[in-house]
Amino acid sequence: MDMKSKIDALLKEAETSLAQATSRESLEAFRIRFLARKGSVATLFDEMKTIAPEERPTVGKLLNSLRAQIQSSFDGKIKQFVQDHHHDKRIDLTLPGRSRFVGTKHPITQTADEIKSIFVSMGFGVADGPEIEDDYHNFEALNFPPDHPARDSQDTFFLSKNLLLRTHTTPVQIRVMEEHQPPVRVIMPGKVYRNEAISARSYCVFHQVDGLYVDEGVTFSELKGTMISFIKRFYGSSVRYKFRPTFFPFTEPSADIYISCFLCGGKGCRLCKQNGWLEILGCGMVDPNVFRSVGYDDEKYTGFAFGLGIERIALLRYGIDDIRLFYENDIRFLNQF
Amino acid sequence: MRVLHTWLQRYVPFTVPPAALADKLSMLGVEIEDVVDLGKRFEGFIVGKVIECVPHPNADRLSVCRVDIGKEILQIVCGAPNVSVGQKVAVGRVGATVPRNQHDPNGKPFVLSQVKIRGVESFGMICSAYELDIGNDADGILLLNKSTRIGQPVSVALGQNETLYDVEITANRPDLLSHIGVAREIGLVVGKKIARPLSRPRAGKTPISRFLSVRVLDKKNCLRFSARVIRGVKVGHSPDWLQKFLRNVGLRPRNNIVDVTNFVMYELGQPLHAFDHSLLQGKKLIIQQAKAGTHFQTLDGKDHELPPEAVMVCDAERPVSIAGIMGGENSEINEKTVDIVLESAYWNARNIRKTARMLGISSDASYRFERGTDPNGTVAALNRAASLILEIAGGELLHGTIDIYPRKVLPRKIPLRITRVNHVLGTRLPSSLVKKILKGLEIQVSAGKGGTFNCTIPTFRIDIEREIDLIEEVARIYGYDSIEEKGIASINLMQSFPTGHQSDPVRTSLVGAGFHETICNPMYDLARAKIVTREHIPIKNPQNKGMEVLRASLIPGLLDCVARNSNFGNRHVRLFEIGHIFEARQPLTDRQDLQSAVEEERVGIAITGRRSPRTWAEPERPVSLFDLKGELEALCVSLGLDKSKLIYYSTTESLTEQTLAIEINGTYAGYFGKAKTSLMALFDIEQEVYVGEMLISSLILSHERKYSPLPKYPAVQRDIAFVVSETVSADDLERCIRKSGTELLKKVELFDVYEGNELSGNQKSLAFTVTLLSGEKTLTDSEIEAEVRRITLGAERSLGATLRSS
Repeated sequence: MDMKSKIDALLKEAETSLAQATSRESLEAFRIRFLARKGSVATLFDEMKTIAPEERPTVGKLLNSLRAQIQSSFDGKIKQFVQDHHHDKRIDLTLPGRSRFVGTKHPITQTADEIKSIFVSMGFGVADGPEIEDDYHNFEALNFPPDHPARDSQDTFFLSKNLLLRTHTTPVQIRVMEEHQPPVRVIMPGKVYRNEAISARSYCVFHQVDGLYVDEGVTFSELKGTMISFIKRFYGSSVRYKFRPTFFPFTEPSADIYISCFLCGGKGCRLCKQNGWLEILGCGMVDPNVFRSVGYDDEKYTGFAFGLGIERIALLRYGIDDIRLFYENDIRFLNQF
Repeated sequence: MRVLHTWLQRYVPFTVPPAALADKLSMLGVEIEDVVDLGKRFEGFIVGKVIECVPHPNADRLSVCRVDIGKEILQIVCGAPNVSVGQKVAVGRVGATVPRNQHDPNGKPFVLSQVKIRGVESFGMICSAYELDIGNDADGILLLNKSTRIGQPVSVALGQNETLYDVEITANRPDLLSHIGVAREIGLVVGKKIARPLSRPRAGKTPISRFLSVRVLDKKNCLRFSARVIRGVKVGHSPDWLQKFLRNVGLRPRNNIVDVTNFVMYELGQPLHAFDHSLLQGKKLIIQQAKAGTHFQTLDGKDHELPPEAVMVCDAERPVSIAGIMGGENSEINEKTVDIVLESAYWNARNIRKTARMLGISSDASYRFERGTDPNGTVAALNRAASLILEIAGGELLHGTIDIYPRKVLPRKIPLRITRVNHVLGTRLPSSLVKKILKGLEIQVSAGKGGTFNCTIPTFRIDIEREIDLIEEVARIYGYDSIEEKGIASINLMQSFPTGHQSDPVRTSLVGAGFHETICNPMYDLARAKIVTREHIPIKNPQNKGMEVLRASLIPGLLDCVARNSNFGNRHVRLFEIGHIFEARQPLTDRQDLQSAVEEERVGIAITGRRSPRTWAEPERPVSLFDLKGELEALCVSLGLDKSKLIYYSTTESLTEQTLAIEINGTYAGYFGKAKTSLMALFDIEQEVYVGEMLISSLILSHERKYSPLPKYPAVQRDIAFVVSETVSADDLERCIRKSGTELLKKVELFDVYEGNELSGNQKSLAFTVTLLSGEKTLTDSEIEAEVRRITLGAERSLGATLRSS
């Protein structure tokens, strides 16, 4: 028999045999008989040595196509078999996978991380400070004079006459400037404390991110550019915004930034209290008195600072209606983020 | 603070509708918290005239009325005893919301519908003053003036067609705490100047000096004291317009004298006080510091012990008013008052704030004085009040004004560089525009040297002290929206700050290991402090009993989380928190600084319940101490630490039993163990919980990694099972194996522990896998055997270990 007939015969034989193979064992026997390292296809390949060199290319092609054909028929059969034996009694493939516990980052951390990554990509570094602060860093150096009504806005937990729990992350600005000469470009996330009545809207502990950029020639115009860039990256480029003048002791001029309500698009709804705008950020040019308290030359340097409340951003973003959920740590809540 | 639309229009002409006005003011920095259309709640209420009134056929106390409301005539069943033909009444139509329901215990509003009352149809309601929420008379219907026009909205008839703005004033702008102040900002919006109410009251011939003398002893805090006297007033109710004004701004009308002083405060921003002259002993006022410890009754009937800082207005014998804060009961205006003294002063803001805080009083007057009033506005306010009192309550204004003002406050002069304006704002504003803006703010501007303006600041703008304050004014009037934003800011590439937190990799690793991150309140109660047994830092003014101290451990918070989740059916949880703990080196005193408090970042971990979620493929297994130990080791390894650098030793901790302390690279790094069963009741937990706490600083490991070449030859592993006395620890045996092996021995790992029937009672079996590897060649069987023999021999000699026969 010449090679071609042998190939044809083997193909026929394989097809018949495959048609009869209906069990796991017979399929495995088929694989061993035809496709394994010492199977009949391989044996035919071995016979290549015996044929004339000039015929080898033609025969080689035939052999390759034979192997491909048998392999593909076999693969098809296996696929079909798996499908047909989906409900095989011995291995129920519908059984669930062995599960394991899946962890979550707290939604406050997730929100802070997102804010952090946007500012880091703009060239800001990250700095930290203590949660127990002294009056000087929390108030005085930030241009809150003693007995000034501006202190009223920050209900403070006191530990002693001089020590308190920081009411904002802004004192970290002072600590950073005390340690570093300009240029300074950092964000400062962290926990803050306010002695406020606990309700669905306010809690006595929350998180803020402060930011600071000081150098020669930093302007209000750049403050606007930086804030707008952040807002667009965080809320999407179609968000509308406005800067409204306000007062902070440590910045001047100061602004509150509002964005168009993302729930109603600015038409007015429960979330934005019907006015179409959400306040999300406070910012301004660093007050010269702040520069003086850290020994910076307030003629030479200008800078801007900003601050935002992470809880507020997360509440708005996820539509959470009770701030206390963040501190109860119920995994039914945590698993949603 | 509330201001009223129609009143603002008296000081500056404008036609901007309320919502647009609120928006424009907000963009100037005057935040309008709320805009309330006071007439809105009277929507659907119309003036009607009763044209027929007959008894109800089926009810004794009801009448059936026909009421003309202009365009139609309504049949209304009315239960009021005082209803009769010809009356002008307030009619609520079907669909209108009645502000107060007099049949509801809480007076809840309700919507009028068409009803049949005892068989007679009624198409609305004739309302009482109570129902309209303008008074407390609920016994009969409200009778309107005979001349009221039929068909007119009730809001107009009642003068309630007013819009109220609730203005949120920032701490730096006390000049806005009045109608004149807000009107001035509206003037900026509409480009008009305000018109101040001019008051030149006509005075009599009698000089004031015959009735009053004033001495200021506390010159530090009483910076100006002005007074006038009016004799022969008739104290009584204020006219409607005045009562309405006060109610609408949120004040309760008292009598015409007090009402005028309050009105002027809301109009001009200067708080005034009126004394009954006959109650002032010796016709004298003396301003001096309080004698510490004296008691004083303020006119709200409360008794206060005076702090020495308090400045008092006294007569010849006793204090009659706490300066700038609240008058005294002993000299207040009453129905018998005939002669009055009007006080208008300027006080030291810091002193007022301190005193008010100590006394726990916040009055309209103290609120304004502590923020700062216009020192040069006292007399104008006095005269405004005097002329209104003469008009409303009659009497004779005495000739002259007492005005003690030793050091006149002059307008501040501040130079402003145009270049600096543009340097800070990033703008190119021409000097002409800057000048125009400043002039609009009543700031006088004259050109100085080299592009500098010399600015003279009106004394009511106490917030403008420096060049930057002027720049801020220019920015807000020019409009933040008009300042172009710059998309590019220069980045300094030599930035010396890290781009993340030290704790970030710890968090990532634990989340990957199936832990939920929690954030707990860092304040807890004394019961928790007691079991943590550290020097806790107490909070001087805690929010409530549950938050009296700062946490000295993360574990109580985690246990509370375990309890909460368990209560809601989730008993199998893995939790962690990264946060600060606080400890006092010694009890804090008022003199200490930050050094006396220790603050440290830690990671706390808690596991409880099943080791993994329940599955068909495996029997259920509860977590044990070794699960937690394994998680902590995995955490350290993932952070780049060699596991063999972890050293454990038994220790005691107040929160845990079976406790192990951990040392990393020779430094204490934390501890873990089983939460003490005896503490579980406090947390209301019934299951076993394993907890641990580590210092973040100890987990910050050197991230300098160095490559070591992969071995060229395969490693071989042999399992060796030893039998040892139960007193020998796994750690002892492992150390012994390491010591007995040569450099071929690379790894020793325990894989089985057996105690039981096959061994005698005081023995156990420990089985190890040892990994052998040579850097130079493939090990032969005999070489492997020799190494295993060295190990077994070593274990036998040092620890009496024998090989376990299989």
